[in-house]
Amino acid sequence: MEFSLYGLSDIVLSLKVTALANFFALLIVLSTLTVLFIAPNYRLKRSFYLLFTLLVASLFLIVYAHDYLLFFIGWEVMSISTYFLLSFTLSKEALHKYILFAMASALSLFVAILLLYSTQHSFLYEDAKQSYLAMSDGVQQLFTLFMLIAIFIKLGTIGFHYWLVDAYEESHNLFTPFLSAMLSKMGLYALILFVANITQATYVLAVMGLLTTIIATFKAIEQESIKRLLAYSSIAQLGYIVTVLSVADGMGGALYHALIHTLVKLLLFINIAGVIYVTQKEKLSDLGGLIYKLPQSFVFLLIGIIVLAGMPPLGGFASKFMIYTALLDAKYLLLLAGVMFSSASAFIYVYKLIYGIYLGHPTHKNLEEVKEVPWTFLAPQYLLASLLVIIGTFPGLVIPYINRILGELNLTLLSFETIQTLITSYAQYNGFVVMGAFGGIFVLVLMMFMLLRSKAKKPKNRFDIAYCAEEPNEATHLHYGYSMGQELKRVGLIHLIAKNSSKYFYDFLAKQMQYFSEVVRKIYSGNLLLNFNIAVLFLIILLLWSLK
Amino acid sequence: MILFDLLFMLLVAYITGFLYYGLYRNITARFQRRLGPPVWQSFLDSIKFFSKEESISHGWMFYLGPVIMMSGAIMTLFFIPLFHTGESFKGLSSYGNLFLVLYLLVLGALGNALAVGASGNPFGVMGVTRGLSRLFALELPFYISVIALISVSGSADIVCIAASQTEWNAFAYPLLFIAALFSFVGMMGQAPFDVVGAPVEVYSGPASEFSGKFLALLMSQSAIFTFAKLVLMVHLFLGGASGFVELLAKSFGLFLFVIAFGAMYGRFKTPQSIDFLLKVPTSIAIVGLILATWS
Amino acid sequence: METGFLQEQKVLEGDLNSENSHQNSVDFLMNWFRKQSIFVLAYGTGCGAIEMPPTFTSRYDAERLGIRGAATPRQADVIIVSGYCSYKTLRRIIRTYEQMSNPKYLLALGSCTVNGGMYWDSYNTIKKLEDYLPVDMYVNGCMPRPESILEGFIALQKEIGEGKASSWQKYEENYEFYRKNQEAVLGKKVEPSYEADWYLYEGGL
Repeated sequence: MEFSLYGLSDIVLSLKVTALANFFALLIVLSTLTVLFIAPNYRLKRSFYLLFTLLVASLFLIVYAHDYLLFFIGWEVMSISTYFLLSFTLSKEALHKYILFAMASALSLFVAILLLYSTQHSFLYEDAKQSYLAMSDGVQQLFTLFMLIAIFIKLGTIGFHYWLVDAYEESHNLFTPFLSAMLSKMGLYALILFVANITQATYVLAVMGLLTTIIATFKAIEQESIKRLLAYSSIAQLGYIVTVLSVADGMGGALYHALIHTLVKLLLFINIAGVIYVTQKEKLSDLGGLIYKLPQSFVFLLIGIIVLAGMPPLGGFASKFMIYTALLDAKYLLLLAGVMFSSASAFIYVYKLIYGIYLGHPTHKNLEEVKEVPWTFLAPQYLLASLLVIIGTFPGLVIPYINRILGELNLTLLSFETIQTLITSYAQYNGFVVMGAFGGIFVLVLMMFMLLRSKAKKPKNRFDIAYCAEEPNEATHLHYGYSMGQELKRVGLIHLIAKNSSKYFYDFLAKQMQYFSEVVRKIYSGNLLLNFNIAVLFLIILLLWSLK
Repeated sequence: MILFDLLFMLLVAYITGFLYYGLYRNITARFQRRLGPPVWQSFLDSIKFFSKEESISHGWMFYLGPVIMMSGAIMTLFFIPLFHTGESFKGLSSYGNLFLVLYLLVLGALGNALAVGASGNPFGVMGVTRGLSRLFALELPFYISVIALISVSGSADIVCIAASQTEWNAFAYPLLFIAALFSFVGMMGQAPFDVVGAPVEVYSGPASEFSGKFLALLMSQSAIFTFAKLVLMVHLFLGGASGFVELLAKSFGLFLFVIAFGAMYGRFKTPQSIDFLLKVPTSIAIVGLILATWS
Repeated sequence: METGFLQEQKVLEGDLNSENSHQNSVDFLMNWFRKQSIFVLAYGTGCGAIEMPPTFTSRYDAERLGIRGAATPRQADVIIVSGYCSYKTLRRIIRTYEQMSNPKYLLALGSCTVNGGMYWDSYNTIKKLEDYLPVDMYVNGCMPRPESILEGFIALQKEIGEGKASSWQKYEENYEFYRKNQEAVLGKKVEPSYEADWYLYEGGL
C-alpha cells in the first residue's frame, strides 16, 4: 500500500506485507500474548496498558513500514512509549540514561535516513540500495556510521549497552520479558533491513558481534542480580546474531536464532517474574533451594538454560548449529572459534542462574514456606517450553518459513528435506533421532537403575550432608555457589574484561560535555550586547561564505 | 540391526573402558613403584557400589543427575562411529555431526552439576564451580583444532574427517594435534588439569555426596565416556580405525600418553590452568589453524 | 559377642574351608565383590593414623588387595578408628559412621580401642570403643605396624566374604544401647541432633 503525505506529493510512503515483516509480527503477537498472560498478577495503572498498547502498535508500524520515514516514526513512538512505561519503576538515573541513549539512537537514525533521502529523494526500501550507491565514499561511511549507531544502541551491542542493563534490571517484571524479547528485536529488524537492503558492513559487524558475545558473557558471569545477569545474557545472544549477519549466508541462522532467543528469553523472564512474585527477592544471594517448592518452575528454567546454552536435544542447538555452519561456510574460522568459546563460557552463568535460585540451600527462613507460582505464570511457560521442545525435535520445521523470507530478500535458500533434519553444506543433523535416542536411553537407564537392589534413601534433614564430620545448621554459609566465577577475576585476560566498563567512557564524555558547556555559557552569558555582537559576526561570516 | 550395533558398541565401550581404567590404575602404580591393583579392580569397585544395601539420595534432581550423565555418555558413544570404513558399527553417527558431539561431551557435566547442586553439599558445588570455570578454557584449543580440521576436510561428519586423512592429521597438522592434546588431557581429568575432583582439597569435589549405586553409575559412565572420547580423538587425529585391533592399539597408545602425562605433572590451580590454557595451547592452536588453512 | 584382641588371630588361623551355610548364591556373589573392593575413609583419629599412609602408599601398597582410600563417608566402606579416641573425636566418628551407607565396617587399631590402653585413666578418652560403636575387627599393637594392619584387612575381607561381618546390622538393632552409652559421655547433644530413628527414609526419587 503506497500513499503520499498530504501536500508533499514527492514523498511516497508505503506499508507492505512481506514475509520478513510477518515473521517479526508473529513474534510480536507471541510476546504480547504471553506477557499479558501474567498481567493479572500485578496491580497496574490503566495508563500502563494504554502505553503498552501504543508500544505494540508502534512495533507493528515498524515491522510493516516499507519506507524509512514510517519506520522512523514507529521507532520514535516506540522509544517514547517505552520511556513512559519504564518510568513506572525506573530510578531517575536509569531513566535518564535510557532517554539519552534512545534519543541518540533516534537522531542518528534520522540523520542516516536524511542522508539516504538526499541522493534519490525516496524513502522506500527498494530505492535504498541505489541511494546508497549514489553517495560518495565519505558519505557512505558517514551513513553507515549513523545507521549502525542507531541500531547498536537499540540492540545494546557492547559499548552501547550502558542504558540497557539498568533498564532491564529495574523495569517492571511484567515488562522485562517484552523488553528483552521484542524491543531488542526491533534493533535486529533494522539491522536485517540494513544488511539485506543496503550493505553488509562485514568487518564492523564481525568485530562488534564477537566482542559483544565474549564481553557480555563474562559480564553476565559476574552479576548477582538475576535480571542483570539475564540482561547481559540477552546482549550476548544478540551478539551471536550480529556476528552471523556479517557473513553472506548468515541470514538464515540469524533469523533462526532470533526466533529461539525470543522464545527462550520470554520463558526465562516470565519464570524469573514468577520467582520474584512469590519470594519478593531479586538477588541470587537471597534465594536458593526452591526446587522442591517450585518444581514446575524449576523444570521450565532448566529447559530455558539448556536452550540458552545451546545443548543438543532442544531448540537452542539447532540455531547454534546454523550459526556455526554459516560462519564455517564463510571461512571465518577464528570468528567461529570465538563464538564457540563464548558459548562454552555461557555454561557458567546458566548454571549460576539455576543453582542460585533453585538448588543449594534456602538462604532465608521464608523461602521454605513459598508455594508454586500461580498458573497464570505457568501457562505461558508451558506454551513456550513445548514450542522449544518441538523445534528441538523437528529443527527443520521453521526452515520453509525462513526460506520464504530469504527468497524475498534474494538470498541463498537453506536446503530442506524433511522437518526432522537440518542440512547445511558441512553437515546435517537429525533432531528427531537425537531427541528420540536421548529420551530412549534416559528411560532405559532410569528403569534399570530403579530396579537395582540397592535402595535409594533420603535423609530426613537437608543438613545431612557430608560436611567433614560436622553438622551444619541454619547459620552455616552453605549456599555460596551463586558467587561462582569470582576466581576468574584472577585470570589476567578476564580481569581485563571485568575491570573495565563503558561507564568510564561515558563519564569521560559527560565531563567533556560539561566543560564544553561551560565555555559556551561564557559566551552565551545573557549579556545582550555581547550576544548581538556575536550574532552579527556570525551573520557576516555566513554572508561571506555564501557569496564565495 | 542398528539396535544390535548399538548394544555391541555399548558392550565394547563398557568392557574396554573398565579395562583401560584398570590399566590406568595399574600403570600409575608402576610409576609410583608399587604393584597396583589387578586390571579388573575398577569393575569390581563399580559392582561393589551397585550392591550396596542403601544409597543416599537427596531428592529427585539428585536421583536423575547420574542418569542424565549416563545418558550423555551413551549418547556421545552412539554418535561417534567405531570404525570409519565398512558398514557396521557406525552407531547413529550418520544422524549427527561433530558439532553435536562437541556439545554432547558437556551434556553429562550439566547433569552432574545439577545433581550436585540439588544435594546441597558445598564441597560438591566447589568442585562444580572449578569444573565449569575451567571448562571454557579447556574447550577453546580443542574447538580451534576441530574447526581447522572441519575446514580442511570440508565436512563436519566424523566418518568423512577420519576417511579424508591420507596421512594422519596428527602428523599433517602437528600444532593442532598438540593443542588438542592439552585439552584432551584436561577432558580426561588428568593432571595438571585435575583440580575439579581433588580429594584432599575439596573432599573429592563433585562426587562428594554420591554413594552406593549413584557412585557406581558415575564410575560406569566414566568408563564408557573415556572410551568414547578416545575413539573421537582417534578418528580426528590418528587416521581413524577400520578394525578392532587398530582401534584398540591407537586408543590405548593415546591413553598411555595421557596417563604418563598425568603421572608426571602436579596440579594447576583453577586460575592457573585457565591462564595457561588461554595462553599456550590456544596460541599453538591459532598458529596451527592459520598454517593449516592458509591458501 | 566375640570381642578383644584375639579376634583377628582367630579369623586368620581359622579353618580355611569352613562352611558358609547361611549364604545363598546372590549373597555369596555380592559378598565376594564387597570383599574384593574396600574403600577406606581417609580419616585419622589418633596416633595410629601415622601407620596408615605407609599402608596405602608405595611401601606396602594396600591397593593390590583392592583396598584404597575414599575422601568422603558417602563413598567409604570401612572407617578405621586408629588408636585412642577422645570425646571430641568420638562425636565426629559417630557422625561419620552414621553417614556411611550400608554395609559398612569398622576397623579398630591399637590397644587403646580395646581397653583404653595407656590412656586407661584419662579423663577425656573412651576406654572401650565397642560400647559406642560396633567393631568388626581389632588389630593389635601399640601401634600396629603396616603389616599387621594389612593382616587385619585380610581378616576383615575373609569375614566379609563369609557374610559374618555384619556390625552395621548390630548397630541398628541395638541402637538404644549404643545411644545410651554415647549420651553418657557426650551429653544429650549427640550428633545428629535430629533423632536417628532410623534417620534415612526410603524413597529417593
